[in-house]
Amino acid sequence: MPRYAMIIDLQRCVGCSACSIACRNENNVTDGIYWSNKITQTSGTFPNVRYHYMPTLCNHCQNAPCVRGCPTQAMHKLDNGITMHDPKKCIGCKYCEFNCPYGVIYFNWDTPHKTWRNSRPLIKGATSSPAEEVKKVRGKAIPYYNPEREATLPGIRPRGVVEKCTFCDHRTRKGNLPYCVEACPSDARIFGDINDPNSEVSKLLGKFRPFRLREQLGTEPHVFYIRDFNPANYQPSKGGI
Amino acid sequence: MKKKQNTLMKNFLSDIKFSRRTFIKASATAGAAVALGVELKPELKALASASGVASNVKGEWRPATCQGCTSWCSKQVYVVDGRAVKVRGNPNSKVNQGAGCPRSHMSLQQVYDPDRIKTPMKRTNPRKGRQEDPKFVPITWDEALNTIADKIMELRKNNETHKYMLMRGRYSYMRDILYSRMTKIIGSPNSISHSALCAEAEKFGPYYTEAYWGYRQYDVENTRYLLLWGADPLAANRQVSYYSKVWGDVIDRATIAVVEPRLSATAAKADEWLPIKPGQDSALAVAISHVLLATGLWYKPFVGDFIDGINRFIPSQYVDEDTFQEKYTHGIVKYWNLELRDKTPEWAAEITGLPVNQIKRVAVRYGKSAPHAISWLGGGPCMQVRGGYTSMAIHALNGIVGAVDNIGGTLKSNKEYTVNFPGEKPFMDDIAKTGKKHEKLDQRGRLQFPCIKKGKPGSGVITNNTADGIINGDPYDIKVAIGYMNNFAFSAPQPERWERALSKIPFLVHITTNASEFSWFSDIVLPDTHHMFEKWGYVKSIGNGYRHVTLMQPIIEPVWDYKTDETEIPWLIAEKLAERGFDNLLRHFKEYKDPETGKEPTNEKEFALYALKYATQNLWDPTKYQGGDKFNGWEDFLKVGVWNSKPYSYQKRWGKMKTKTGMFEFYSDTLKAALEKHAGNHNVTVDEVMKATNYLARGERAFIPHYEEPFIMGDEKEYPFIHVDHKSRLNREGRSANCSWYYDFKDVDPGDEVWDDVAKINPVDAQKLGIKNGDRVKLTSPTGNLVCTAKLWEGVRPGTVAKCYGQGHWAYGRLAAKKFGKIPRGGSSNDIIPAQYEALSGSSAYYGVTRIKVEKV
Repeated sequence: MPRYAMIIDLQRCVGCSACSIACRNENNVTDGIYWSNKITQTSGTFPNVRYHYMPTLCNHCQNAPCVRGCPTQAMHKLDNGITMHDPKKCIGCKYCEFNCPYGVIYFNWDTPHKTWRNSRPLIKGATSSPAEEVKKVRGKAIPYYNPEREATLPGIRPRGVVEKCTFCDHRTRKGNLPYCVEACPSDARIFGDINDPNSEVSKLLGKFRPFRLREQLGTEPHVFYIRDFNPANYQPSKGGI
Repeated sequence: MKKKQNTLMKNFLSDIKFSRRTFIKASATAGAAVALGVELKPELKALASASGVASNVKGEWRPATCQGCTSWCSKQVYVVDGRAVKVRGNPNSKVNQGAGCPRSHMSLQQVYDPDRIKTPMKRTNPRKGRQEDPKFVPITWDEALNTIADKIMELRKNNETHKYMLMRGRYSYMRDILYSRMTKIIGSPNSISHSALCAEAEKFGPYYTEAYWGYRQYDVENTRYLLLWGADPLAANRQVSYYSKVWGDVIDRATIAVVEPRLSATAAKADEWLPIKPGQDSALAVAISHVLLATGLWYKPFVGDFIDGINRFIPSQYVDEDTFQEKYTHGIVKYWNLELRDKTPEWAAEITGLPVNQIKRVAVRYGKSAPHAISWLGGGPCMQVRGGYTSMAIHALNGIVGAVDNIGGTLKSNKEYTVNFPGEKPFMDDIAKTGKKHEKLDQRGRLQFPCIKKGKPGSGVITNNTADGIINGDPYDIKVAIGYMNNFAFSAPQPERWERALSKIPFLVHITTNASEFSWFSDIVLPDTHHMFEKWGYVKSIGNGYRHVTLMQPIIEPVWDYKTDETEIPWLIAEKLAERGFDNLLRHFKEYKDPETGKEPTNEKEFALYALKYATQNLWDPTKYQGGDKFNGWEDFLKVGVWNSKPYSYQKRWGKMKTKTGMFEFYSDTLKAALEKHAGNHNVTVDEVMKATNYLARGERAFIPHYEEPFIMGDEKEYPFIHVDHKSRLNREGRSANCSWYYDFKDVDPGDEVWDDVAKINPVDAQKLGIKNGDRVKLTSPTGNLVCTAKLWEGVRPGTVAKCYGQGHWAYGRLAAKKFGKIPRGGSSNDIIPAQYEALSGSSAYYGVTRIKVEKV
């Protein structure tokens, strides 16, 4: 059985968010919920300023606090290491969301894709309405609904349950890469089996000193970061007093 | 917000602050708070029963082309049951090589935008104006086309066909049918493109040095130094996908320096950021050139050398031209004598606001990387009132270091083999011939508007001046106009002029996907197909040392009754004109025969398809093969979706450039001839042309790259800040604003915020004004104002305010506008940018063109 892991090469990352928008698309995620997200930082004072970008997503921790704290086992681990959620068992208590030290679990406070339910046209008779458009194209809640997501999860998670990244388990089970990995224009995401010493992820983990988020918590995240978003060179100096 | 983010990143990375114990404690408290919250029931069952889609439906990846920006990538769209579901890069393109970008995904929200117009409509309120609701009502295609044909016939009857005008926005290479052929056969000179809003000044420098009028491709994978000028290839134009793909490796091999007053996406990953004072780019460019010559770092195998090998480029001293033997360049000593000799880094430091050390360091390292050293010309430094010579000065750096047409340097486009559509001449009757002879409405070619595209005065467009032409009826009034996929009432500087101009046109037609600001003034609005999913067409693009020709195809089930701007609609108009006794256009269109069967088109759909097959036959027909990728026939080409050229041949143009001298010109004989021709047309001297076009150069300096003090509107005391406009990595040109993903991810533009439109102000300036993060502020220039949110950010130069273009629509859709037709969401940069021009190219000035004041509201 593989143990899936992802490496994010920050040097290749251009901070464009194609991963996050593609994820929205693949998983039919409603606005305001970010399975794939980022942390940005502007450091320094003009003119010595840098902007940094670090993509984030569910870390699929080995010791997942979200799983341990779930009272109904809705949040659970798969044999391949993916932290999975079963909305049918979810009671919406949000313990997982608050136990997650990474802020990557989201609760559906509202009806998903609510704006698409609106049946008022902008210009009467000359434009359709969101609801009419969805119906006309035979979509579901959204016109560009991706039915493939339904293979392992409700295609759209309803109000009252949590949701988060699943490493695109519906794709990996068919031998496809997670969609964020495929959609990354700069090949900054590398995915594979960390148990296989010959996988690309294993090779890269042997080549660079990786870091993980909040390692000290002992969660054993399986999203690893290598290199630096901004590997700028500078004039050598010993500083000065 | 900034503080919050910084703390967040610190928390994630620091092992000290957040121990496991405090973390569990924090979670418990938060959990308790939530337990008191609203109870919500899962709606799983309801959702499952609402399913209209079977999950076992198998989709198919179909080839497409994205025109969200002018990278013009080849794409593939995942189509399920006739419905577009996903988008990815087409792996068959050697330009973008399967790479995508963030904004391409938003095309899904565009094509299924509920606010797209689904049927032709007409205005019922005869009064036109920003405050006048057009009161659009739906009409049939037949009624719309009949009305349009009647109006055109009226012009023909009255021998005033020149009062017809066609305005073009985003186009494919099917453009000539509607833009050129139809306009000429009707009998008007007035085909007005948007090109001068886009980039013409950016082509000016490359043309008047190496006779290349076009966008460059940069050989980044082989370069050792990348000096970018107002270019942000990781976010905006052009070939974002390709550059994003390879940038991580480019960083390893090359030093990257970015010249821009704002910390751009590309600057965020660069080795050097040169936050220059807006408009002063030419000072930096000539100072770097000065250092390169003074320190002997020019590339001798390209430029040549002093005959005795002794460097006489000594600061402030003149050099005898006879002592230098040039190889593939022309006028290096003249350039030194007329401009560079006293343009020291110390001189430039004061003007540009950059440290002397940084200028010297960049110059020397750039020179030491020769010839694999790119000077990357973006729109920022040259789309300015006096940007023409900046364009030359920045591009000339490539000449000094021998990067032109060289490995790791700046390249032109590769050869491709598409052909033009059949000629219109045999179908132009006397009315048309007479009509076409009139002066064009944008006033190009007048003394103050040379618009010397490719060396020909008056041949380039000056798009934004068309509004003044219409308002003043100078040279005459326009009676019938069609615009397609353009939105000048939003996308052009000082758009209020367009509101007045468009209101004045008695009969205006707009072909568009969304009811935009331009549509607001139209009499008839026609629903256009979306280029990526619903249209036959093709575009060409360059990158990675290749050129691709990528196809647009109708690949999804059309939702409503859209018709294609550049092919179907002109055909349908031609049919209506023929019914009214004027069949020249229809007879012309019937010449676009299917190359496979020889059949002439009988309806608009056949016409669109045959026209595309006609133009691209050399690419797909094996019997006509001329080079690059080879296909077995049309079906084969359709399936792959993209043709790739042969790889680039370096150094082929050294000594054989199409300039007057055949060489790379530092002293531009090519520009000299063009300016003298324009001066001759008006019986004036070149000096008088310089004066009329607001340039300061006189005499020989008009023919060389040189420093010009920027022309920035507004009194410094009243308007203390210089406005810095920039583009978003999520902009699909100006058309993302009705997509929710645009707002939900807007913070991927460094410094910007989600669901907001911010003016980025340096904290030092904000403090002086008493402005805090999140305050509502009004930005006012001498020609207009906008209201948005203040964002204190270190990534902007003090004394400047940076604002992203893209929001501030007051029409276009329910999300784009806060209240459709009435209240904008955010503020549009163009509302504060005055209508000013780089007149030699006709370009609108967007950058370093105005001062503004900032007030809390």
